[in-house]
Amino acid sequence: MQTLESYCDKEKRNTKSIAVWTGLWLISTAALAFGPKFLWDYHTVISMVLVCVNLFFGYKMVVANKQLLEDLDELQQKIMFLGMAFALGCTVVVATVLGLLEAIRLVDSVINPSSILFVTGISYLVGIAMAKRKYA
Amino acid sequence: MKNRLKVLRAERDWTQADLAERLEVSRQTIVAIEKGKYDPSLPLAFKAARLFEMPIESIFQDEPSAI
Repeated sequence: MQTLESYCDKEKRNTKSIAVWTGLWLISTAALAFGPKFLWDYHTVISMVLVCVNLFFGYKMVVANKQLLEDLDELQQKIMFLGMAFALGCTVVVATVLGLLEAIRLVDSVINPSSILFVTGISYLVGIAMAKRKYA
Repeated sequence: MKNRLKVLRAERDWTQADLAERLEVSRQTIVAIEKGKYDPSLPLAFKAARLFEMPIESIFQDEPSAI
């Protein structure tokens, strides 16, 4: 007989899954960033294998995140939607300004594009917090 | 939209967590619906009606906005 999984059980399972895959993805990203220089002296085959492993972990992380969103209830989905909308908006606005800073000679060097990830992550957390407060 | 979820829940001695589990939603969703901060979707409203064995309009009432 099939047992019904409660909402809390689903949430725990999905949270655990996303934590595991995100952790593995982070470890493989760190290995890819520092391994060639400090561990295997830029050995091409090892680096290529690690790129594949990193992409696989990234794919599993995206799938786990999608599953987490699908299993949320309607209000939690709406909260996530508002958080993502806020993060997308902030990212577009900040990325546009950062892209222009060097062109209009307000800064000397080109800003690292990966810093946009911080803007996205922080604005996503702020967006989620604002949406949660709205419905609390 | 007004609703009687809090009253119906109290009549059955259910906590918000109990109701959340029965409706398969989070406790935060129950809190938001009871406070009138969030209007549930039609499927969730029907689910609540089935759970309480009452017509949907006995639980949820529309509040026409002033024109």
